[in-house]
Amino acid sequence: MSKGVLVDMTKCFGCGACTVACKLWNEKKYDDVNKPTLGEQAHLVDINWTVVSKHHVTDGSGQPAWRFAKKQCLHCSDPACASCCLVGALRKTPDGPVVYHPDLCVGCRYCMVACPFNIPKYEWEQSFPKVSKCQMCSTRVAAGEMPACVTVCPNQVMTFGDRDQLVKEAHKRIASNGQYVNHVFGETEVGGTAWMYISDQPFEKLGFKTTVPKESLPAYTWQILSKLPLILVSWTAILSGIYFINKRRHALAADKQENTGGPQS
Amino acid sequence: MSKNNKHDLPVSRRFFLKGMGAAGAVGALATLSGCKDAGRPSGGEGWTPQQYNVPGTWPVQVRGRVPIDPNNPSIVRDDRKCILCGQCTEACKRVQTVEGYYELPIKDDITCVHCGQCALWCPTGAISERDDIDKVLAVLADSSLHVIVQTAPATRIAIGEEFGMPAGSIVEGKMVAALKQLGFDRVFDTNFSADLTIMEEGTELVSRIKGSWEGHPQRAGGHGHTPTALPQFTSCSPGWVKFCEYFYPDLLDHMSTCKSPQQMLGSVAKTYYAKKKGIDPGKIVSVAIMPCTAKKFEAARGEMNSAGVSTGKPELRDVDFVLTTRELARMIKRKGLDLPSLQPEKYDSLMGEGSGAGVIFAASGGVMEAAIRSGYFLLTGQNPPASLYNLSAVRGLQGVKEAALEVPGVGELRVAVSHGLGNARQLLDQIRADKQNGRPPRYHFIEFMACPGGCISGGGQPRTSVPPSDWVRQERIKSIYAIDATIYQKRLSHENQEVKDLYADYLGQPNGELAHKLLHTTYTDRSAQLTAKIKA
Amino acid sequence: MTINGNRISFKMTPFRLVLIAFSVIFVGIVIYRLVTGLRLTNLNDAWPWGLWIFIDVKLGVALAAGGFTTAGIYYVLGVKKVKSVVKPAILTAWLGYCLVGFGLLMDLGRWYGWWHPIFSWGEHSVMFELYMCVLLYTIVLTCEFAPVFFKGIGLMKLSTFFTGLTAPLVIGGIALSTMHQSSLGSMYVLTAGKLNELWWTMLLPILYYVSAVAVGPAMVTCETALAGRFFKHEWDHEAMTFLAKWSGYILTFYAVMRLTDLAMRHQLVALFALDTVSLMCLLELGIGSILPLFFFWGYKLRGKEMTKPMIVRNAVLMVLGVALNRGNVVFTGMAKAAGENYFPSAGELFLSVGLLSVGILLYLFVVENFDVFPEHVQPTGEQKEQVPPPKAAACLQA
Repeated sequence: MSKGVLVDMTKCFGCGACTVACKLWNEKKYDDVNKPTLGEQAHLVDINWTVVSKHHVTDGSGQPAWRFAKKQCLHCSDPACASCCLVGALRKTPDGPVVYHPDLCVGCRYCMVACPFNIPKYEWEQSFPKVSKCQMCSTRVAAGEMPACVTVCPNQVMTFGDRDQLVKEAHKRIASNGQYVNHVFGETEVGGTAWMYISDQPFEKLGFKTTVPKESLPAYTWQILSKLPLILVSWTAILSGIYFINKRRHALAADKQENTGGPQS
Repeated sequence: MSKNNKHDLPVSRRFFLKGMGAAGAVGALATLSGCKDAGRPSGGEGWTPQQYNVPGTWPVQVRGRVPIDPNNPSIVRDDRKCILCGQCTEACKRVQTVEGYYELPIKDDITCVHCGQCALWCPTGAISERDDIDKVLAVLADSSLHVIVQTAPATRIAIGEEFGMPAGSIVEGKMVAALKQLGFDRVFDTNFSADLTIMEEGTELVSRIKGSWEGHPQRAGGHGHTPTALPQFTSCSPGWVKFCEYFYPDLLDHMSTCKSPQQMLGSVAKTYYAKKKGIDPGKIVSVAIMPCTAKKFEAARGEMNSAGVSTGKPELRDVDFVLTTRELARMIKRKGLDLPSLQPEKYDSLMGEGSGAGVIFAASGGVMEAAIRSGYFLLTGQNPPASLYNLSAVRGLQGVKEAALEVPGVGELRVAVSHGLGNARQLLDQIRADKQNGRPPRYHFIEFMACPGGCISGGGQPRTSVPPSDWVRQERIKSIYAIDATIYQKRLSHENQEVKDLYADYLGQPNGELAHKLLHTTYTDRSAQLTAKIKA
Repeated sequence: MTINGNRISFKMTPFRLVLIAFSVIFVGIVIYRLVTGLRLTNLNDAWPWGLWIFIDVKLGVALAAGGFTTAGIYYVLGVKKVKSVVKPAILTAWLGYCLVGFGLLMDLGRWYGWWHPIFSWGEHSVMFELYMCVLLYTIVLTCEFAPVFFKGIGLMKLSTFFTGLTAPLVIGGIALSTMHQSSLGSMYVLTAGKLNELWWTMLLPILYYVSAVAVGPAMVTCETALAGRFFKHEWDHEAMTFLAKWSGYILTFYAVMRLTDLAMRHQLVALFALDTVSLMCLLELGIGSILPLFFFWGYKLRGKEMTKPMIVRNAVLMVLGVALNRGNVVFTGMAKAAGENYFPSAGELFLSVGLLSVGILLYLFVVENFDVFPEHVQPTGEQKEQVPPPKAAACLQA
């Protein structure tokens, strides 16, 4: 059963425990000055697999308010990054995480270009850089544990479980509490993601990319790729055919030339 | 077609196809036979504390951490040291009842009373005070500035621990000596302004009690200078004050309008002291050494510029910088001074005298005891009997303490003391319920301290065991009462000669016009910054 | 050591010294880059792909399309009049693909694993398909050029062997080229929602392929014009006219498809929005399609014989147009999604320039020492002193 996480952004008060859990579990370095994990300037980079970004919004009563958005890889159900990796270094596991295998990676960075959410980052300062992104604690999930960030959250902002159940849970919460925007971000975006969000604020105000296609991106490519073998075979056949027809024509022309004598052109 | 082709180029065609297919065949074989093993996935090289490593979705009891706004004036956190042990949350939620006592989503504020107990509970020191040492060193280096410093009662029995001395070691004189060697131009004692606070707060209490006798018990909100609501709450602890502003704004008219001793000394320094010594208030930099992280917040409160307002320079702060006891210890260490071996020195005059009543402000119940000693005097015109010099009912570490005493010719005075904000809630909820039900007040005066044990165990004190043990608290409290009982000459605030001189030379009467301008303050209803919950 | 019975020669000219200087810098940058990673680039998380991908991959491959198009025209379609350009076109394509391969290697963060795709297949990846095709096609081109090489060093048997392979090689080469030229476009199909709608379309692979088929001969025309000037070759007007017509017709098809696609996706308003993106798109269409087609059909409809300047001018315009198109996809169209600007660093620029310099030097060396340009195109008769050794023609002090 593919796992997922439902993030209720109304419950987050921005302690950043999740970002620390991520750093602890994945042994990532800190750079609070240039690469903060928390606040207005927080954004995903090579050493930040998850950040909590702070957003100034207006709440339901028209008062200024703060909202915090936990950002990390959304672990698409049909991930563009995994589909486009030419060595299969990025893979969607049956558990749900989209996992990166550095030993295979050649560093072409197509995954970074392809990701609709601009999630994969690169270790630009390294001599032999790796792609860097949240692994959804794949080894923990495989062992039946929750991702580190989920388990440390003091407010249970995140709920870990079967994705199908979480979709239902999300809609239940939206229906039972009028504060929420009636949208589960990640339910249908790019064909669905393992991480889903509900919020009392429009998602674009919290730094979410809401313009992504609803369809799975690899499906676009597959429409083309799946036709290639046929094109390859038929095109080779056509070219061979033309080649032999022309060859024969030239041979005939040469014969004719011999018979009539003298070149024609 | 291919037949013809084969006919033309039999060998080479096969060769070509072989060449094309060879690499592919190897790849396909590798793929199918599982040699496509990808190696170790990225991540997961580290660890998380044991409580988080549970299978399934079992709940984790102690987890996460408190939220800290990066702009918090009092405390900061170094993520690199945070191990998510969850202790800060335990302190904030269960001891101080702050985190978890407001609804989510939050508004535009991260609820924090700046008490700093989380810092004391933090086993790795990830949470600590905002370090203002460099700013203080900068003003000390500027010879054009007159840098004064005050030291809170609780610092003198704790800072020795930072230098290897036993818990509760009394190092008042040595600390003064260290401050002078650090280059402060004058070293004043917050005990002085604690005595001043007693004069103001005691006078206010007397007038509230008299006001209630005069039949205005319901004049909630207070008109003019003097609210009449009873019981009166102490206002020395800025963490407690902010807590009340957040969660019990309906009870703010019970809050004494007196500033805390820190702020009283600050505003007196830039007015009275400046005038007496002929120093431009703008050239005075006022530093406070406090056992408290919330004092940094208090000094930064917008309204804490009375001296500036009264001298026409509202941009002047009454207190410019607040350093915790820990920061002072670091400064002394940086300077290379061995505190235990320093020759004790005395506080400087004008604001250096303190009574035993002032010093016991450091311990839970101390403000109450000091107020009763002088309140007795204010009500009866006589010094209190011997029993009131050792009011054991309000001493000690019990969460809520009560006492009732007969004041001759006045009647029964009922008081309560609480320390730790969780304990404060018990009293506050009771008062709220009493008011809603129209019941008369149970107490005349309540002392609230944000930190368990009072200032001696404030968020800025030297780190001890985690969580801080009552043993250390008791050692420090013993020393505080020892100073009161055996070291200081005077034990009554109203006998402090420098305080008397201040009133005689400058302020006039306690609660008088100038006293109100400089020594009293107002509070902010912060209920709009959160959606408070009664229970977590 | 001799080639074709002549001593190996490489004449020094000031122009070549400059190229050599660039090449020396190039070698230094390459070593630095291989050791220190991509720090010398201005690439970052917002711009994971930059100049190298644009020049070395997108543009390099498109412009090297002359190899498979002319080979196809000559061998498969049997258009014998283009014979003179086939060998040089294959040479430039082969060198082009070698440079592309090297450029790609430079761009790979973990370049030492360049061979991983052979064993670990990402079969759903366009990049995998591209990698395989480019790898195989480079081998194919090497085989196609092998006869000239082996003849040059006197291994006539091997030369004959590879000559015998020509037909399957050409057909295989066209098939592989069809795949990867279109894949360069398919690559960006995955960027739906990121790449600006003026360029993002499901037709990207077809548009890329068709434009490559059009620009390949145009590039050959440019190269021939340049080489002819440097080596004082005779301008094979018949061959060049054929190629110009070929490009003209294909480009017409391309332009119609491109504009129809824009219209059907309701992008004409955006096309004329006159913001940076729209202006870049208009520039691309104007230079790459409208102008050359205007000239081409102008001559065509008036029944005029195309002149050499007109053919060369059209070819240059088309090459520029494709460069603009590829650049727009890589940069202009992705700028908004990136959210910040990118400009290549000196290291990136010098590496690309250096790579090109190495390519030109190699080309000059091969052309001067091997039988690339067929004898019958060589000027004969009055310029007898230049006849036997082609190297004598190599004077670039123009």
